Amino acid sequence: MADNDIKTTEGQGYSRRQFLIGAGGVGIGALAGGFMVKSFFLPDSVFAVPASEGYLVVDTHKCAGCASCMLACSLVHSGETSLSLSRIQVINNVFAAYGEEDSVVQEQCRQCPHPYCAEACPTGAMHADPDNGNVRTVDQAKCIGCERCIEACPFTPSRVQWDPKKRKAQKCDLCKDTPYMTEEGGVGGQQACVAVCPTRAISFVSDIPAQTDTGYQVNLRDDNVAWALLGLPTEDDGSYAPVATAAPAPTGH
Amino acid sequence: MAGGYTGKILRIDLTNKSVSTLDSEKYQEYGGGHGMGSAVFWDLCEDKTVSGFDPKNVVTIMASPFSGTLVPAASGRTEVQGIGVQGYPIEYFTRSNFGGRFCGHMKWAGWDGFTVEGAADEPVWIDIRNGEVEFKSAEGLWGLDAVEAQEEIWRIVQNGEEKEWRELGKERTTQRPAVLTIGKAGETLSRTAALIHDAGNGAGQGGFGGVFGAKNLKAISVLGTGSVEIADPKALMDARLWSMEYAVAGHLDEDYTPLGMGSMFGGAPASGAAGYGPADQPKSPIGCLGCHKNCRARFASAASNGSSCVDYFFYHVYDQAAHGSYTQHILDATEALQRYGINSYQAEGAIIWLNNLHKEGILGPGLEIDTALDFNQLGTAEFAKQFLDMMANGYDVGEALHEGVAYAAEKWGRYEQDTASGILPLQCHGYVQHYDARTEVEWGYGSLVGDRDINEHDFNTLVFWAPSISALFGAQPACSADQLAEIMGEKLSPYNDPMMMDYSDEGIYSESMAKLVAWHRHYTRYYKQSLALCDWAWGDFFNEYGPEGRGMTGEGEPKFYKAVTGIDQSFEEGMEVGRKIWNLDRAIWILQGRDRELEVFTDYNYEVGAVPGYTTYEVPYVVPMYKDGQWVYESAVGRMLDRDKVEEWKTKFYTLEGWDPATGWPTRATLEELGLSHVADDLEAAGKLGS
Ligand code: SF4
Ligand code: SF4
Ligand code: SF4
Repeated sequence: MADNDIKTTEGQGYSRRQFLIGAGGVGIGALAGGFMVKSFFLPDSVFAVPASEGYLVVDTHKCAGCASCMLACSLVHSGETSLSLSRIQVINNVFAAYGEEDSVVQEQCRQCPHPYCAEACPTGAMHADPDNGNVRTVDQAKCIGCERCIEACPFTPSRVQWDPKKRKAQKCDLCKDTPYMTEEGGVGGQQACVAVCPTRAISFVSDIPAQTDTGYQVNLRDDNVAWALLGLPTEDDGSYAPVATAAPAPTGH
Repeated sequence: MAGGYTGKILRIDLTNKSVSTLDSEKYQEYGGGHGMGSAVFWDLCEDKTVSGFDPKNVVTIMASPFSGTLVPAASGRTEVQGIGVQGYPIEYFTRSNFGGRFCGHMKWAGWDGFTVEGAADEPVWIDIRNGEVEFKSAEGLWGLDAVEAQEEIWRIVQNGEEKEWRELGKERTTQRPAVLTIGKAGETLSRTAALIHDAGNGAGQGGFGGVFGAKNLKAISVLGTGSVEIADPKALMDARLWSMEYAVAGHLDEDYTPLGMGSMFGGAPASGAAGYGPADQPKSPIGCLGCHKNCRARFASAASNGSSCVDYFFYHVYDQAAHGSYTQHILDATEALQRYGINSYQAEGAIIWLNNLHKEGILGPGLEIDTALDFNQLGTAEFAKQFLDMMANGYDVGEALHEGVAYAAEKWGRYEQDTASGILPLQCHGYVQHYDARTEVEWGYGSLVGDRDINEHDFNTLVFWAPSISALFGAQPACSADQLAEIMGEKLSPYNDPMMMDYSDEGIYSESMAKLVAWHRHYTRYYKQSLALCDWAWGDFFNEYGPEGRGMTGEGEPKFYKAVTGIDQSFEEGMEVGRKIWNLDRAIWILQGRDRELEVFTDYNYEVGAVPGYTTYEVPYVVPMYKDGQWVYESAVGRMLDRDKVEEWKTKFYTLEGWDPATGWPTRATLEELGLSHVADDLEAAGKLGS
């Protein structure tokens, strides 16, 4: 699937995958993060779209792996709860240590400055939606289920999912198309995953954050007064920001 | 069909290595989980008097309509039932449940529950991927501990593709399968053996690990890629967001002042484990599926990941005594407990007892009870591992303890003596004391009239922990005794009697206390064990974030039930379902031999005064009392129970429940009122119907 495929770019003689590798440890994300521009050009590109006006960032040092975000995502979009239909994928290895890479992996769409998914789409179904802050979105009426977007997404697993019932692609729309959510979604609205996350490990931001191939490097721990008071580390190295020591919680635990 | 159900139960016949399905619709009136399990057990287990180890024992593993949904602290709990092997002197039909994500995958795979019947002729594991069920040889898994076995099954099912979308029929998933397994203790048919799932989730009480071992069943793996249908998705999302306001999760931006907090739903991330590791070891929370609270922890050493309070309590005091504070030893000891798959309560009771016998000069190298254990090493991880290895493999003191503490005491000829002095902390029916029946009576009574240590903390948090911890720190509990009585008077419907909170010397034998115990039995049977609301979050009575300190109970349960199923059921109607399930369970125990005479505590409860730290809670017992016309929190330390008054209380309780006071057996009228006339017929045929 996506990670193994070499996607050749016409006329340039190198693949996008190679381009990503060529960018070394920094990768496409960090590169993109450095360009705070409304459009983004690769060497071969005639394909340019305006930057998304919204992004999800996730702090894996906070994430508890509860999958509430996944259940909420499928609930508000499809009216049913399913991990397979969630646009955000959390892969939790409960036996891995705190801080260990892959202990909990949060896979959310990056709303790429250069969305390979949209570029690969032959019908224009996958597009930047001007009515929703240029979020990369599938117009399912136009989707023919060819799965090229799924394969084109450079991340593993692909951030575009397959909806087996409709036989069409779907992806994070920052909750724009949410018939089962009372609040308005989308850029400027409520994101279901952000709203339900009990550790506040997910946040919506308007500017593309600095990122690496393994994810955005964000610390949402020190945003929360209670985090350190709960005895949980606030710094990336596992240490605590200086706070008053909390007494044990008499909740019977 | 109502939302939240798949309509099918998978029957797994190990003897014939075949499967069939059972329509779950006729059991849906019981909610799901426990109620559904009891009703299915009643129908499928033909001889309810067999041993738990007998192939004819039927084990039910049930999801609830909330499993795999967004109902907070309800999505991830799976209920296990069948004839357990820990009950003493009778192996009662019993229950246990575990968190994680197993029931979610059951539902996404298309099942409301599993039954495990018969016994395989060689070790097997069961590989369930949506509707596909395969019996596989467990040759390569037998002997692996509970973590290794899961990792091996993950590897097999994921086929090496750890983060890819993998196809399962027409659907796709990135997820690991959910595995329920046994460790060494289960393989050797120990009565202390637990079922283990993911990190730190276990069904320990009842000894179902040993039951799996007897069935030659190493593990069940389930991976589902489907959906749970929700009757009113918008209402569910709204209800979830509404409930967040009652939780720390909705208040992370505010100062957190744990002291004086008492609410269960409001509890904090990692609070179930954070206190028991080395203070400087980095950690983050781990939660069950869909949880709003995420009470367990992931440690930088990975040792004991996902464990919670009681998993540490078997050993934490010894680590602290030996090393001055909690160290890596307690994390490593707990990790070993999980890997062997041993019920922590059994390990806890056993160590307390052995240590007491050692102090009395009865147990030790070359003594009356000879052992290689070196008590100078108590508190080290090495001691814990050696002891757990003995328990799991049945040698040294483990030769007897493999059968659990009650049967071991009988084997060593010490049961009467040591439960009278109290050096062996067995409260009743062979279960280790968890909370003290002498002071926190709703816990003791609930266990006495039931099948096992109840392990239900909803009242416990408010009547014991909050006032006792506050007393320890010289603070006021967040909920005053006055307010507590007022709130309970409002919420404990249909009784609505504030005197139910009176834990004074008179109050504990009163009619009101009978109502409290009845309310608790009915509430937990339905809402916690059938709809699978987590014990660590519900019922929500007092809540520091709620309006005027009011929690969600009474309002929250029906709101979530309606959103998921589409069925408008009042809170009181749910309580009646709980009463029905409770009576059905009671009928099974009676067929197994239960009567009034067997409902007695062990002697120490009547003969020795309660002291803090009797098991492992080194905290004074401060409880609510109504004294001289006022509600107060006061210490109940030193109290012992009065035999005659407990007997009088039993008569009040049986009468309230519509049971024959002479025998404790339900009457036909009671059973028929609950729609259980077929149960009355069976009791009558066995000569065990109350009159
Ligand atoms: S809801 Fe939050 S804590 Fe739970 S899995 Fe998602 S990001 Fe992690
Ligand atoms: S689906 Fe993949 S390629 Fe498309 S915007 Fe998201 S992360 Fe980028
Ligand atoms: S923002 Fe909305 S669509 Fe995107 S992952 Fe979160 S819940 Fe799903």
